Amino acid sequence: MIAADIQVVLPELVLSVFAMAALMGAVYTIKDRAAPLLVWTTSGVMVLVALWIAIAGPQGSAFEGSFTSDGFSVFAKVMILMSGAAILLMSEGYMARHGILKFEYPVLITLASVGMMVMVSAGDLIVLYMGLELQSLALYVVAALRRDSIKSTEAGLKYFVLGALSSGLLLYGASLTYGYTGTTSFAGIIEATEGGVSTGLLFGLVFLLAGFAFKVSAAPFHMWTPDVYEGSPTPVTAFFATAPKVAAMGLFARVVHDAFGGVVGDWQQIVALLSVLSMFLGAIAAIGQRNIKRLMAYSSIAHMGFALMGLAAGTVLGVQAMLIYMAIYVTMNIGTFAFIMSMEKDGRVVTDIDALQMYSKREPLKALAMLVLLFSLAGVPPMVGFFGKLYVLRAAYDAGLGWLAVAGVLASVIGAFYYLRIVYYMYFGEERDALDPGMSPVLWGFLMASAAVMVVGIVNLFGIEPAAAAAAASLVN
Amino acid sequence: MTDSSNFLVIIALLPFLGALLPGVMIRAGRTACAWFTAFPTALALLLLLVLAPAVMRGETIHAEIEWLPQLGLTASFMLDGLSLLFAGMILGIGLLITLYARFYLSGNDPMGVFFTYLLLFQGAMLGIVLSDNILLLLIFWELTSLSSFLLIGFWSHLPEGRQGARMALAVTGAGGLAMIGGMLILGDIAGSYKISEILQAGDAIRASDWYIPALILILLGAFTKSAQFPFHFWLPHAMAAPTPVSAYLHSATMVKAGVFLMARMWPALAGTDAWFYIVATTGLVTMVIGALIALFKDDLKALLAFSTVSHLGLLTMLLGIGTPFAAVVAVFHIINHLTFKAALFMTAGIIDHETGTRDINRLGGLRRLMPVTFVIGTIAALSMAGIPLFNGFLSKEMMLDAAHDTTWAGNPLIVAVLATVGALLSVAYSLRFIWHVFFGPVRDDYPSKPHDPPFGMWAGPAFLATLVVVIGIVPAAIVGPLVAVAGGAVIGDAEMPYYSLKIWHGVNAALFMSIIAVVGGLVFLALHGGLNRIWNALPRPEAKAIFDWIVAQVAALSRRVTEASHNGSISRYLAILIVASVALGAVAFGGSGLATPSREMLPVSLPVLAGWLMLIVATGSIVVMHHHRFRALVLIGIIGLMISFGFVFLSAPDLALTQISVETVTIMLLLLALHFMPKSTPRESSGLLKLRDGVIAIAAGGGVGALAYAFMLRDVDTISGYHLENSYTGGGGTNVVNVILVDFRGYDTYGEIIVLGIAGFVIYALMDTLLNGPAARRLRNTDYAQNRSRDRHPLMMVVATRVMMPIAVMVGVYIFLRGHNQPGGGFVAGLVISIALLMQYMASGFAWTQNRQRVEYHALIGIGALVAGLTGAAAWLYNSPFLTSLYGYVELPPIEEFGIGTAFLFDLGVFMTVLGAVMLMLYSLSRIARYAGEPINVDPMDYDPKQAIVDEKGEV
Repeated sequence: MIAADIQVVLPELVLSVFAMAALMGAVYTIKDRAAPLLVWTTSGVMVLVALWIAIAGPQGSAFEGSFTSDGFSVFAKVMILMSGAAILLMSEGYMARHGILKFEYPVLITLASVGMMVMVSAGDLIVLYMGLELQSLALYVVAALRRDSIKSTEAGLKYFVLGALSSGLLLYGASLTYGYTGTTSFAGIIEATEGGVSTGLLFGLVFLLAGFAFKVSAAPFHMWTPDVYEGSPTPVTAFFATAPKVAAMGLFARVVHDAFGGVVGDWQQIVALLSVLSMFLGAIAAIGQRNIKRLMAYSSIAHMGFALMGLAAGTVLGVQAMLIYMAIYVTMNIGTFAFIMSMEKDGRVVTDIDALQMYSKREPLKALAMLVLLFSLAGVPPMVGFFGKLYVLRAAYDAGLGWLAVAGVLASVIGAFYYLRIVYYMYFGEERDALDPGMSPVLWGFLMASAAVMVVGIVNLFGIEPAAAAAAASLVN
Repeated sequence: MTDSSNFLVIIALLPFLGALLPGVMIRAGRTACAWFTAFPTALALLLLLVLAPAVMRGETIHAEIEWLPQLGLTASFMLDGLSLLFAGMILGIGLLITLYARFYLSGNDPMGVFFTYLLLFQGAMLGIVLSDNILLLLIFWELTSLSSFLLIGFWSHLPEGRQGARMALAVTGAGGLAMIGGMLILGDIAGSYKISEILQAGDAIRASDWYIPALILILLGAFTKSAQFPFHFWLPHAMAAPTPVSAYLHSATMVKAGVFLMARMWPALAGTDAWFYIVATTGLVTMVIGALIALFKDDLKALLAFSTVSHLGLLTMLLGIGTPFAAVVAVFHIINHLTFKAALFMTAGIIDHETGTRDINRLGGLRRLMPVTFVIGTIAALSMAGIPLFNGFLSKEMMLDAAHDTTWAGNPLIVAVLATVGALLSVAYSLRFIWHVFFGPVRDDYPSKPHDPPFGMWAGPAFLATLVVVIGIVPAAIVGPLVAVAGGAVIGDAEMPYYSLKIWHGVNAALFMSIIAVVGGLVFLALHGGLNRIWNALPRPEAKAIFDWIVAQVAALSRRVTEASHNGSISRYLAILIVASVALGAVAFGGSGLATPSREMLPVSLPVLAGWLMLIVATGSIVVMHHHRFRALVLIGIIGLMISFGFVFLSAPDLALTQISVETVTIMLLLLALHFMPKSTPRESSGLLKLRDGVIAIAAGGGVGALAYAFMLRDVDTISGYHLENSYTGGGGTNVVNVILVDFRGYDTYGEIIVLGIAGFVIYALMDTLLNGPAARRLRNTDYAQNRSRDRHPLMMVVATRVMMPIAVMVGVYIFLRGHNQPGGGFVAGLVISIALLMQYMASGFAWTQNRQRVEYHALIGIGALVAGLTGAAAWLYNSPFLTSLYGYVELPPIEEFGIGTAFLFDLGVFMTVLGAVMLMLYSLSRIARYAGEPINVDPMDYDPKQAIVDEKGEV
C-alpha cells in the first residue's frame, strides 16, 4: 500500500531529498563556493527527473486519491522541470558576475519545483495547499535574493504580504468548500456538486479562483507582478515568468476540471472575465513601459489572459490549447530572458529599452533572433506564438465564447504594438551608446535555440499537439 | 497528387528555397547574385505558365499537405483564374524588379541581404494568392508584413524611413491580427477553413449573426493592407524605402493584397448592404482624397504613392459595388494599374537616381536630357490619366460606367459625381507629373547631371510601357481571356455579366464623364500654381501628426492605467485585491441567492451584549489609536480575551483555554519586544485615503461577517458529528478537541509543533545575524537609560511571582494530565508553564533568572519534537500507520482517573516543544536588551529603589 503510494511520488521525493542533501552538504562544507557546481548538478538532476517522468508516464493516483499522476500532470511537470533547469543554467553566469550566486539559490529553486509538481498533481485541497505554499515560500525568498538592494527586498516583501493575503483567500475558499461538501478530495467535491453548487459552495469556489488568479497573476490580482519582475534579479524574474506560471495554470486547470468539472457554467464566466481583464490590462499597461523587465511583467499578464481563455472554454480542446499555449509561452520567455540577461553596458545591468536602439547594426544575428521572438510573443504569423493564440481563440470560439475570442483578438492587436516597438528600436532607432558586445555561450545558445524553435516549430509544433491532447483528455471528463 | 498539384506546391516553395541563394552568391559578384535571384522567380513563372492553359480552360488546380489538422490548418493551395493573375503579376514584376534593382543599388548596399528579403517577400505574396486555407493565408499575410518591414528598413539610415517603417508595421500588423478573429469566425460559420468550401457557403455566411463582426475584422485587415481611408497614411510614409521596394511592394503587390482578399472573398461576403456601404464608401472616399492629396505633392514618389492610394480606393469601390460587372472591371483595372504604376515608380526611381532629387520643383525640362525615360514616363502617366489608346482609359471608362449605375442611399448621382471628380483629379496629377518633370525649360541646377540610365535599368519600365500601349489598343486579344477567367473566379457562381474590352463603346454617360474629367483635369493643371497656394494655406489634418497623437494618447492612457494600479504603494495593491475579492463574493452571492433561514437567532443576554460591545469598541479603538503601539497592544489583548469568552459562551472551553494562554504568551512577548521599538508608528495616509481604506475595510469585513451570519442561520451538514461520535471509541478521549489534535489530526499537530520549534530557532538565528550587522551599532548607540524606571524589579512582583510559580506549575501538570478527557492538553500546558516562567523573567530580569535554569532551550525543542515523532513512529512496530494511538486508563491519586496512551507521550513532546520555543523567543529578545546596554542585576529584586544600578556587562 504505502510502497505503491511512494512509487507514485518518487520523483518528488527524489527531488526533495536531493534539495535537502544539497542544502546540508553545502552548509557544512564550502557554502557559496559550491554554488556553481550545485547549479549545474541541480539542473542536470531536474532534466533527468523530467525525462524519467516523461518516460515512466502516468502512474495512477496515490494516498487515497489525494495525489494524482496522470497525463496532465506528466505534461505539466516535464514543462516545469525543463524550464526550471534551463533558467538555472542561464542564471549561473549572471548571478556569479553580480555576486549573488548563493548556494541556497539552486536549493530554493528545487524546492519551488517540488512544490509546483505537487500543485499540478494535487487531488485534494490540502495537498494542493501544501504544494502551493512550498512553492510560494521558496519564491518569496528568491524574489528578495539580492538582499542589499532596496528594490529587491521591497519586491520580496510586497510579494510576501500580498501572497499571504491571497493564500488566506484561497484557504477561506477551501474551508468553505470543505464545509459545504464535507470533503477536501477533488473526487468527493465533484460528486457533491452533481446536483449543482449551493451558494455556500459557490463562495468557496470564487475565493479559490481568486487565490489561483493571484498565482497566475491574472488581473485584477496581478499587482505584485511588475514590482517583483522589476525588483528581482533577472534570472529570478525569468524563473517567475516560466515554471511557476505553468504550475499555477496547471493547478487552476486541475481544480476547475477535477473538482468543479461538473459545474463548468459556474466558473466559466469568472475565468472569462479574468481572461479579458488580464489581456487588456497587460496590453495597455505595457505600452507605457520603458523598463524591459516591467514590460515583460505586463506581457506575462496578457499572456496569462490568453491561457485563461483556453481554460474558460471548459472543454478538452480548451485545456489542450492552454497547455500548448503555455509550452510556447515558456519557450519564448526563456529566449527573451536569455537576451535580457545579456543586456549590459560597461558591466552594469541595463533594462531600459532605449538601450536597444539600432541594435541590429551591431549585432544583426541577435537582433534577428529577438525580432523572431518578439513577433512570436506578439502572436504574429507565421511564428509559433501565433499557433498558440490560434489554439486558444479556437477553443474559446468553439465553446460558444465568441465575444471572448473577439476581445482576445483586439487585445492582441493592442499588445502587438509594444513588442513591435522594441523591434522598431532595434532596426530603426537612433544611434546610442552601444550595449556591451558579447554574450555568454549558454545565453547565446538559449536565445538562438528559442528563436529557432519559433521558426522551425511551425512545421508540426514538435509534435506537442497529440501529447497535449492526451494530457487534456486525462484531465477533462 | 497529380503533376500539376506538385508543380503548384513547388511554385509556392520556390521563392523560399531560392531565398537561400542570394546571400551565398553575393560572394560571386553582384551580377551573379542578381541572376541567382532571378532564377527561382523565372523557374516559378515557367511552371506557372505550364499550369496556365488548364486554368484558362476553367479548371482549378488544388494541392494539399496535412499540417495541423486539429486546428483546421492544412497547407493547401489552389490555382484558379484570380490566383493565376496575381501569381503571374507577382512573379513577372519580381523579375523586372530584380533586373532594375541590380542597377539601382549602389556598390555600398548589401545586395545579398536585399535580394534575400525580396525573395522572402515574393514567397509570402505568392503564398497569399495561392492559399486555399484562410489560416494559411493569414500566415502568409503577416509574413508579408514582416518581410516588407525588413525591406523598408533596408535603408534605415534615412530618418524618414524610420517613421515610415514603424507606421507601416503598426498599421498593417495590427490589421492582420484583427483579421485572425474574422477568419476564425468565418471558418466556424462555414464549417471549414478551406477557401474553396467557404466560397460555397456564401449564403450561410451572409445569414449568420456573426457576419458583421467577421466582415469588420476581415475588412480591417484588407483596408490597412491596401491603405484605405482612414488607414491610408502609412503608405506614403513607407516610400522612404529604396525605389525597387516601392515599385514592387507599394504599387504592384503588397498593397494589392487587401484588394485580392476582397476579391477572393467576394462570393462569400459581397452582396449585402453592409458590404456595399462599408466597402464601396470607403473606396470612394479613398479614391477622391488620395487623388486630391496627390495633386499637391511635390515629391515624385509621394505623388505616386497617393495616386496609388487613390487607385486602390477605386478598386475597393468597384469590389464594394457588389455587381458582377463591377467586379470584373476591378480585375481588369488591377492589370492596367499594375502595368502603368510599376512603370511610373521605376521611372521616378530613374529620375531620382540620375538627377539626385525627387522634388518636382527642382525638376523640369528633362525631355531632352533623358529622352528614353521621357517616353516611358509619359506613356505610363497618360495611361494613369485615362487617355484613349492607353489601357488606363479602358478600365476607367468601365469604372465610370459601373459608378453611373450605382445608387447610394437612394441617391443615384452621388457615386457617379464623386467617381468623376476622382477621375478628374487623376488626370490633373498625371499630367502634372509629365508637365512639371519633363517639360519646361532645361535648368542648370540639377543636383547631378541628368542622362538616361543604362539599358538594364530602363528595360523593365519600357517593357511595361509597351504593354500599356498594346493592351490599350487591342485589349481583347491580349488580356481578354485572362480577365474572363480571373473575373469568373472572383464572381464565383454568379452569371458572367456582359462586358466588352474595346476602345469605343459609343456615345454614353461614361464618355461624357470621361470628357469632363479630362477637360477639368487640364483646367486644374493650368490653375495648379494658384490652387497649390490655397491648398498650402488651408489647415488640414496631417496623418502623421494624428498617428503620433494617437500613439501619445495611448501611451498616456497606459501611463494612467499603470499609475492607477501600480504606483508602488502596497496599500493600493491591497485595496485592489480586496475590492476584487469583495466583488467576486458579490458575484457568488448573485449566483443563486440564499435559501430562507432555517434557524432562529439565539437570545442575546446582557453579558454577551457587553462582550460584543467591548469587542467592537476595542476594534474600533485600534483603528483610531494604532499609532500608539502600547495602547494598540492593550487593545489587542482585550480583543483576544473577548474572543476567548466567546469560545466559552459557545461551549468550547478547550478552545477558550488555548486561546487565553496563547493570548497571554504573545502579548507578553510583544510587550517585551515593544521595548525596542519607537513608541508610535509613522503616519502614512491622508484623510481621503483613510476614507477609501475605511470603506474598503468595512465592505470586506462586513462581507465576511454577513457571510458568517447568513450561514449560521441555516442548517448545514458539518463534519463535527463524525468527531463527536468517534473521539472516544477511536481516540480514547472525551475531549474532542484534544483528541482531534493528537489523534485524528495528530499529523497536523506534529507538523505544527515542528513549525513552532523552527520559528523559535529562526528568531534566534535572525537575532544572531542582526546583532552582527549594522543594526547592532544602532542598538549600541541607543540610550535606554532615559525613561527607565528605578525599580525595574519590584519587590512585590518578585515575591508574588515566586509564590505563584509552584501553583502555576501544578496547574500546568494538571491541565496536561487531564487533557485527554477534559479541556487541557500538552499545548495548553506548555503555554501555562511558559507563562509561569515568563513571569519570573519579567520580575527578576532575564540574566539573573537565566543563570538559575539548567535546561538548554534548543535541546528542549529538539527532544520534544523527537519524542512526538518517535511516539508516532512506534505505531509502525504494530503495523499501524504513523501516529495510531494505544491507550489505557490510570488512576493516580489524588488526581482523578486519567487516560494514558501513546497520545500521552505525544502530548509530552508537544508540551516540551512549546515550552522550548516560547522560552527561546524570550531569550532572543533579551539578547537585544543586553546588546543595547541594558545593565544586569545581580540581585533578584531591587531591595532599595534608590540605589545605583550595578553595571556588570557580560554576554549571555
